Amino acid sequence: MTDANHTTHHARTYPRFLWYVLGRATDGSWLFYTWMFVLTAIALVGANAWAHQVVRGMAATGMSDHVSWGLYISNFTFLVGLAAGGVMMVIPAYLYGDHDMHDVVIIGELLAIAAITMALMFVVGDLGRPDRFWHLIPGIGRLHWPVSMLTWDVVVLNGYLLINLHVCGYIIYQRWLGRRPNPRWYLPFVFLSIVWAFSIHTVTAFLYSGLGGRPFWNSALLAPRFLASAFVTGPAFIVLTLQIVARVTTFRIPEGAIRHLLSIVRITVLINLFMVGSEVFTAFYTGGVHATAARYLFVGLHGHTELVPWIWTAIAFNTFAAIVVLSPPLCARRWLLNVALAMTFVGVWIEKGMGLITPGFVPSTLHELVPYHPSLTEWKVTAGVWAFGLMVFTVALKVGLHGMSRPITEEVA
Amino acid sequence: MAEENVTRRNALKVLGATLGAGAFARALAPLAEITQFTNLREFMQKHYRELNSDEMREVLHRLEQDTEHRYGCEVTIRDIRPQRHTQFAYALNLSVCIGCRRCVEACHQENNHDRTTHQSYIRVLEMEQGSMDMERGNTNYDHDVPAPGHFYMPVQCQQCENPPCVSVCPVEATWQETDGIVVVDYNWCIGCRYCEAACPYHARRFNWRRPEIPADEINPNQSYLSNRIRPQGVVEKCHFCLHRTREGRLPACLEACPTGARVFGNVLDADSEIRWVLENKRVFVLKEELGTRPRFFYFFDR
Amino acid sequence: MSRPTTPPHSDALASRSARGAALVAAFIAALDVTACASRDADRFSASQDADGAHRLADGGVYASTLHAPRQLVSILGTTRNLQGQPVEIRCATCHDLLVPPPALPDRASSLGGPHAGLRFDHGGNACAACHDPTRFDRLRLATGETIPMTGALRLCAQCHGTQYRNYTHGSHGGMTGHWDLRSGPRVRNHCVDCHDPHTPRYPSFRPMPPPLDAPARVETRHG
Repeated sequence: MTDANHTTHHARTYPRFLWYVLGRATDGSWLFYTWMFVLTAIALVGANAWAHQVVRGMAATGMSDHVSWGLYISNFTFLVGLAAGGVMMVIPAYLYGDHDMHDVVIIGELLAIAAITMALMFVVGDLGRPDRFWHLIPGIGRLHWPVSMLTWDVVVLNGYLLINLHVCGYIIYQRWLGRRPNPRWYLPFVFLSIVWAFSIHTVTAFLYSGLGGRPFWNSALLAPRFLASAFVTGPAFIVLTLQIVARVTTFRIPEGAIRHLLSIVRITVLINLFMVGSEVFTAFYTGGVHATAARYLFVGLHGHTELVPWIWTAIAFNTFAAIVVLSPPLCARRWLLNVALAMTFVGVWIEKGMGLITPGFVPSTLHELVPYHPSLTEWKVTAGVWAFGLMVFTVALKVGLHGMSRPITEEVA
Repeated sequence: MAEENVTRRNALKVLGATLGAGAFARALAPLAEITQFTNLREFMQKHYRELNSDEMREVLHRLEQDTEHRYGCEVTIRDIRPQRHTQFAYALNLSVCIGCRRCVEACHQENNHDRTTHQSYIRVLEMEQGSMDMERGNTNYDHDVPAPGHFYMPVQCQQCENPPCVSVCPVEATWQETDGIVVVDYNWCIGCRYCEAACPYHARRFNWRRPEIPADEINPNQSYLSNRIRPQGVVEKCHFCLHRTREGRLPACLEACPTGARVFGNVLDADSEIRWVLENKRVFVLKEELGTRPRFFYFFDR
Repeated sequence: MSRPTTPPHSDALASRSARGAALVAAFIAALDVTACASRDADRFSASQDADGAHRLADGGVYASTLHAPRQLVSILGTTRNLQGQPVEIRCATCHDLLVPPPALPDRASSLGGPHAGLRFDHGGNACAACHDPTRFDRLRLATGETIPMTGALRLCAQCHGTQYRNYTHGSHGGMTGHWDLRSGPRVRNHCVDCHDPHTPRYPSFRPMPPPLDAPARVETRHG
C-alpha cells in the first residue's frame, strides 16, 4: 500500500477500497438481508412498471393534457428538498465548529446522495422519451442553458451529487486507508455544498414560480417556502435515521446532534406553517383568478373536493409536529417526538405534492377542472424509486459509518 | 470453520447477485418492444436545425418509410421553409363564431390526430355574454348553437411573440420561425412536458400513447414540422397548418368555418384582410397581462 | 365547405382596404423582421421567388371568385332523385311559361304552388322591396334600378352595409383556397349561401361533439 516514503499508489489501493465497499454493502445481519430483499423486490416491481410505461406510453399514468405533471414530479420536488435539507447539519458542523455534529455530518451528506439519486430517477421516469436523454448533454445534445430553468436544475442537481460523492468518497477512502482526511481536499467542497444546497431547491422552485400562466405557482414566496419545508424534512429524517442507526449498529450517536437538529426543526416548521398561512390569506382575501386553484385545494371547486382531505391532513400533521417539538415536556417523550417528526415528514410530502403540483394544474389555463388520480403504474414506479433510494441510503450508511469508525493509523503532513 | 462460513457467505452472495441480476433483466424485459416504434437511426438523428439538405432528405425518406410500415399508408413528407417577408397573424370574429366546432374537426382530420382521443389543437369555449372570465366558460357544451346569451371563443396556439414554451424547453426542441410560427421538432423532444406546463393557453398536446389512425383516414400531404404522424411521448401543437400556409393556402380551420369568423394572412401585406381587421376592428388578445404578445387576435363586430 | 368556382364576379370583391394605423404599426415594429419598411409592390411581384413559392408569371394575382348559390336560380322540388336528394327546378322552367307573369303576393303565406309554405321573417319588408314585380329573374335596388337575380349581393349590401364591409375585408363569410392570391385562387361564400333571403337568420344546429377530455359541467357555479 505505501512504501517507505509514505506515497500511496492509489491505482492499486482504490480498487481494493471498492472491493471493501462491496463487501461492507453485502455483509450484515439477517435483519439487513431481509430489509434489502424486500426493498429489492419493490424496486423490481417499480422497474417493471416503468418498462411497461415506456412501451405503452405515458397513458399508463393518470396524467392528462390538463394535469400534465403528477406523482413523479411531486416526488422529485420533495426529494430535492430532502437533499438540500441534509446540508443543515453541515453548517453547524463546519461553520460553527460543533463537534457533536462533526461526527454525524456525513449522514446528512449521504442522505443528499440518496435523495438526489431518487430525484433524478423520478425525472427520468417522467420523461416521455427517456431514450432521448442524451439530448440534454451539452456538446452532444442541445442544452438550452441558461434560458431554461430545467437546464439549471440538471446542472445544479448533478453538480450537487458530484460534490457530495466527492466529499463522502474522499473522507471514507482516507479513513479506510487509516488516514486523517486532508481538509484541503474536502473543506472547500463542503462550503460549496452549503451554498449549492440552497441553489438546488431555489432553482427547482424557480421552475414553477417563473411560469406566468400558472398563477398558483407564480408567487415570490414559492422559493422561500420550498427552502423552509426542505429544512423541516431534512433534519427530521436525519433525527429518525440517527435513532435507527443507534439501534441497529454499534455506532454511537451524540445526543447533541439530535438536540441541534431539533432546534432547527423548531424554527423551520413554524416558518413553513406561517408561509402556508400567508399564501392562504393572499389567495382568499384577494379572490379572483389566483383564488380558484387555492379554493379547489382547500375547500373544493365546482363540486370537486379530491384534494381537500389531503391538504388539511398535511396542515394538521405539521401543526401537531410544531406543537410537539415546541413543547419541552412533549418533546421529552422520545416516542412522541418520533411520531411528530414522521408526521411532519409526511405532511410536507403531501403539501409539496398534492398541495403544490396538482393545484397548479387545476383549474387548467382555460379554467377547465379535470381532476388527477395517480394510476397503479405511477404508484408502483414511485414505490420502486423510493425502495431503490432507501437501498442506496442503507448501503451508503453502512459503508460510511463503518469507514468513519476505523482508527487513524497514520498522519499525513 | 470461520473460513467455511465466509466462503459459504460469499457463495450465497454471488447466488443472490445472479438471481437479482436475472430478476432485473426480467423486470425490464418489456423495453425490448420499443423497437416497434423507434429505431437506431431515429435515436441518432440530429436536431432539425443541424441537418443539411442531404441529411434532411434521408430523414424525410426514413420517416415516410416508417409511416408506411407502421400505418400502412404511403405519405409524402416535405420540409417546407418559411417564406420571406411573411409574418402570419390570425384574427377571430367573436360576433360571427357560432361555436359549431367545425374548425376543431377540420384540425383533427388535417393533422392526422389520434382517433381514440379525437385530439385537436383547438378548444372552443362557450362564454357568457358580458363576461370574458373563462371561469364562466364551458368547453363541454352539446346543445344547438349558437345558444342565446352566449358567445363562442375558440382557443388554439397563439404563436406568441414572447413564447414561454420556447424559453422553458431544456433541449431547444421548440422555437419560433421567421414567419412567426412556433414549431416543434418531434424527433428531438424528450417529452418532459415543461412547455405544456408553461403555456398559458392550453395550446400544447402530449402524445400519451402512439397515435392510432386508420390508413384510409390519413392525410398523406405532410411536412416535417407540422402534420406528419407524431411519435409517442412527444409534445405537439397548432402550427398554423404551415404545410398549407407556407404555400399560400388557407389553414384547415379557416376553410372549415362556415360563417367566416376566422381571418388569416400576412400582416406585412398592407392590403391583406388581416391587416384591415387589425387596423379597423377593436382587437384584443387573451391574457395580455402575461406579456406573451400573441399573434392571435379576437374582436367583436359591435 | 369547398364551393365550385364560377366566372369571376365583376363586383368590388378584390378586397383592398385603406392604409394602416398606429396600432398595427406597433405590432409590426415589434416583430423581428428585416427589411420590412419598404412597401414596394415589386417585392410581391417577383415571378419566381427565392422562397420557391408558386406565383403567376406576370406577377399578377389569382382570382377571388364568388360562389353562385343554387338558391338564386332554382328551388327544390318535392320529388327526389336516385340519390335521395330533392330535384332542383330552375325558375325559368315554370316562369317562362307563365304569361302574363303572376303578381307579387301581399305576403308570403298567400303563395301557392311550388312556393307554398315559404316562411318569411326578414323585417317588415314586402315582397316588392326586393323583387322586381315584372321579372321573376330580376331584383330591384332602392334606387329603382333592376339587377339580375345572380347579382343579389349588391341588394344585400345596400341595407347591410356594415356586414358587407366586413365581408369584403374577409371578416365575415366563409372562404376556401388561398390567403395569398399570388399563389392560388380563392372562393368566397355568397351571402345567400348562409342567409336565406326570406329567413336570413343564421340557423341553430347541433355542433360537432365536445372534446373527449372536457370536464363535465357541474351545476354549482360560484362567481
